[in-house]
Amino acid sequence: MARQEYRRRLDKLRTDVCAMADLVLDRYDDALEAYETGNEELAQTVIEGDHDINEQYLDLEGNCVELLALQQPVAGDLRFIASSFKIVTDIERIGDLATNLAGYGVEDAEPLLPLEDVRDIGETAGTMVEDAIAVYETGKAEGTWEIAARDDDLDEACQNASERIVRELIANDPSTLTDTEIEVRLADVSRTLLLIRDIERVGDHAVNICARTLYMAENDDGLIY
Amino acid sequence: MMARDPDDRNPASKPRETEETDTTMATAQLEDELITTEVETGSTERAGRPDETVVATTGLTVHYGDDQALWDVDIEIPVHKVTAIIGPSGCGKSTFLRSINRMNDQIDGCRIGGELHFHGKNVYDEDVDPVALRRKIGMVFQKPNPFPKSIYDNVAYGLRVQGKDDEVDLDAAVEDALRGAALWDEVKDKLDESGLELSGGQQQRLCIARTIATDPEVLLMDEPTSALDPVAASKIEDLIDELVEEYTVVIVTHNMQQAARISDKTAVFLNGGELVEFDRTATIFENPADDRVEDYITGKFG
Repeated sequence: MARQEYRRRLDKLRTDVCAMADLVLDRYDDALEAYETGNEELAQTVIEGDHDINEQYLDLEGNCVELLALQQPVAGDLRFIASSFKIVTDIERIGDLATNLAGYGVEDAEPLLPLEDVRDIGETAGTMVEDAIAVYETGKAEGTWEIAARDDDLDEACQNASERIVRELIANDPSTLTDTEIEVRLADVSRTLLLIRDIERVGDHAVNICARTLYMAENDDGLIY
Repeated sequence: MMARDPDDRNPASKPRETEETDTTMATAQLEDELITTEVETGSTERAGRPDETVVATTGLTVHYGDDQALWDVDIEIPVHKVTAIIGPSGCGKSTFLRSINRMNDQIDGCRIGGELHFHGKNVYDEDVDPVALRRKIGMVFQKPNPFPKSIYDNVAYGLRVQGKDDEVDLDAAVEDALRGAALWDEVKDKLDESGLELSGGQQQRLCIARTIATDPEVLLMDEPTSALDPVAASKIEDLIDELVEEYTVVIVTHNMQQAARISDKTAVFLNGGELVEFDRTATIFENPADDRVEDYITGKFG
C-alpha cells in the first residue's frame, strides 16, 4: 500500500479523537458524581482539567489542518478529516459542559431536582456520546440514526424536568419567604434549569457526532442540520 | 467542494439559441473540413440534434500489436469544459487522448476499434483526413516543443502551412494567439527572437499559442505542466481556465490535485485501459462511486 506514513497519521488521528472523547466522558461522569455527592474536590479536578482538554482539542485541530495542507486528502479520507475536525469541537464543548455541571454541584446546596432524575438524564446523554464515538471509531454509519433518534426522548425528559421546577416555583407562595430566602431560591432555580439545559446540550453534541460520522462513512448529510 | 460547479462556468455568456445555431453551422462546416472525399451519408440527423457533447466514444478499443491498451471506452466529453484524464502509468490515458485526434495512427501495429465521434462524425471513417482533424483538435505535449524558429514564426506556422497567410492578417492572428496564451505581454517586444530562448513555462505557452492560432475547437493536453516549475505550472492552469471560454480542453495529468483544481469533469482510467469512472470532478474527489477509484485517488494503491 502506498502512502504508509499518511495512512499511519490518519489512523493516529482517529485514535487520538477517541482518546480525547474517552477523557471527556470520564470528566463528564466525574462531574455528574460531584454534583450528586457534593464532592468539591472531585468537582475542582474536573474544572481544572478542562485546560488539558482544550490543549488536546487545539492539537487535534492543528493535526487536521496539517493533514489537509500537506496530504491533500480526497474522497473518504477527506470526509474523515473534515468530520473529525468538526467532531473534536463537539467533544471539547462536552468538556466545557462537564465543568459547568461540576460547578453547579459545588454551588448547589439544596437540589431542586431529585438526584436520581439528574443521574437518569445525565447518563442518557453520556451514553449517547459514548455510543456516537464508538460508531465514529468503526468508520461506518451503523447506529448513527438510532443514537440520534434517542435525543428526542432526552429532550422530552429535560423538558419535563424543567417544567416540574417551574411549576413548583409558581406553586410556592413567596409571601412566606424572606428576601434572602427568595434570592437563594431563585439562584437554585436558575442553576438547576441550567443544569438540565447543559445535559440536554450534551445530547445535541452526540447527535452532531452521529451526523458527521454518517457523512464521513456514507457521504450522507441526512443528519446535518 | 474543491472545484466549481461545472454548470456555473461561463454563465449565459451566449444566448442558448445562438449557441445551437452555431453548433449546427459548425457541424455542417466541419463535415466539409474534415472530409476530403465524397460524403457517403447524410448528416441531417446529427446536425439537427442539440448536443453539448463535442467528442463521444462508443466501445473504443486500442490495440498495440497483441496488447490491448483501451477496453471499450464509452465517454462523452462536454463542450467548453475542462475534462481531466487521470490514472496510474500504463492505464491508457495518453492512448485515449491520442486517439481523439488520431495521433495513434502514426504508431506501427496500432489498431482502433469502436467509434469516436467529433460533433457526431466518426473520425475513424475512411473519408476523414487526419491532418484536417488535427487542425480542429490540437495537441499540447508534456515537454514544450517549439520549433527552432522565431516566436512569431512559431505561432504563424500553422496558418502558413494552411496557405492562409494571404487571407488573414498574420500579425493580428499572431498577436491574438499570443494573447490567448497569456504570453503577449512577455514577448511582444521580441517576436523575432527564437522560441527556444524562452523559459520552459513560456515555451509551453508558446506551444499553446501555436496550437490555438489555427482556431481549433478542442485542445488535447498531455501532462502539459509536468516539466514545469510550480509557478510556471500555475500560469498554465490559470490559462486553461481562460481557454475553456473558447475551446474544449481535455487534459491528461499525473497530478491529481491539478485535476481537482482545474477540471470540471474527471475520467479515471485503471487496470490497463479501462475507463472506471467518469463524473463531475467534485464527485470524483469527494465521493467516488467505484471503490477502485477511491483506493486510487486516496493513494491506497497505484
